[in-house]
Amino acid sequence: MYAQFFGSYLLSKNIVTPKQLTEAISHLSEAHIKLGTLAMHKGYMTAEEVNEVCFLQTREDKHFGQIALERNYLFEDQLNELLNTQSPDYLLLGQNLVDMGAITNNQLEELLLGYRDENQLNSDMEANELPEESMQLVDKFFEQTGRPLPKNILIYMNLLFNNLVRFIGSDFTPLTPVFTNSYDTNFCITQQIKGFLPLLTALDMEPETAITFASRYAKMEFDEFNEYVKASLEDFINLHNGLFSVNMSNTYSKEAELDPPGPTDEDTLELSDDAFVVPIIYPFGTIYFAISGTGDASIDEDSEESQE
Amino acid sequence: MKEKAKILIGDDSILARQQLKDTISRYVTDPIFIEAANGKEAVTKYEEEKPDLTFLDIVMPVRDGIIATLEITKKDKDAKIIIVSSIGTQKQLTAAVQAGAIDFVQKPVKDEIIQQILSKYLGGE
Repeated sequence: MYAQFFGSYLLSKNIVTPKQLTEAISHLSEAHIKLGTLAMHKGYMTAEEVNEVCFLQTREDKHFGQIALERNYLFEDQLNELLNTQSPDYLLLGQNLVDMGAITNNQLEELLLGYRDENQLNSDMEANELPEESMQLVDKFFEQTGRPLPKNILIYMNLLFNNLVRFIGSDFTPLTPVFTNSYDTNFCITQQIKGFLPLLTALDMEPETAITFASRYAKMEFDEFNEYVKASLEDFINLHNGLFSVNMSNTYSKEAELDPPGPTDEDTLELSDDAFVVPIIYPFGTIYFAISGTGDASIDEDSEESQE
Repeated sequence: MKEKAKILIGDDSILARQQLKDTISRYVTDPIFIEAANGKEAVTKYEEEKPDLTFLDIVMPVRDGIIATLEITKKDKDAKIIIVSSIGTQKQLTAAVQAGAIDFVQKPVKDEIIQQILSKYLGGE
């Protein structure tokens, strides 16, 4: 989840535009990490040194590692370590942005430090992150809006981001959540969760975006907005809410019940006062996920009791 | 495995029904599929068709999969009903078994699990 939230971090600092970010994300799968980026991430080389070696590479026909060794910017064992390091996704994202000219290496060096610092992340993060770290990132993400989430909703959102990675793809960035009590819909699927934590959940996107979303979810190629595409969106939200129920049942022995999901006819969804919508950018379009209390209930209904 | 087995699939999602049909078709020769989009329809189709095996989702409109299971097994105690659901909580599992379901599959459905189920309940032919 580091890459997804590194993207949000860059947006929140107004370092990149959503368009630049989307472009960098869409090239993630074909990108390879460069030694210089890794060396900077590990703190073995400064951005200046990396820039110098990159410049020298254009004049001497040598590998990056070779020049860095000759200039004493790297020790041999450091170089070997870097060559055997698996790089985290968010580093690749940063590197793509440098390659696109959206940011410089010097900016990236500072941003990496800032991101780790703000999120109190371990400086030696490897590609495999722990589940607690993902929860911590989501927590921080909402805290920055000035509206920290109640525990149950935090678990819900963390599971949502993980399910997006699992069923749709990891190439997304969540944008700053919008706290609002009404939402204008495009093509919108809603599902009610009932029981100890009553919630209205909604997944909304443009029909064009839904076609690719559904193709990824169903692992089928859809080329028009048809009943299978609609069913895919319903299946995703139903699957996610179902897995959340299982999660809650296992952790707190609390049972939730689900109504069948379905498209809403409403042009505007009326939401509770503490409801929020998270826009999530994918290269193929933006999806919106809304969480709201139902009736008079807030989204934090019963959270005290459920943490017993 | 039994050829031309009659298999009833009750799920409100056309996609979920299609995916389950695709998976089953990989393991069963010439299956005969009967589809229902809600629990009530599943009960009616069961009575008309007397399928060899039935897969039911829980969260469905009109009548959910647990109630449909109850209604089917009340009339046919030998009905082979598998619940396929994303809410595999202890409570739902217990409810499914009490209603007379013989097995429970957690969504997302894995091909190997379906294969095991098919050979377990359609295998001895």
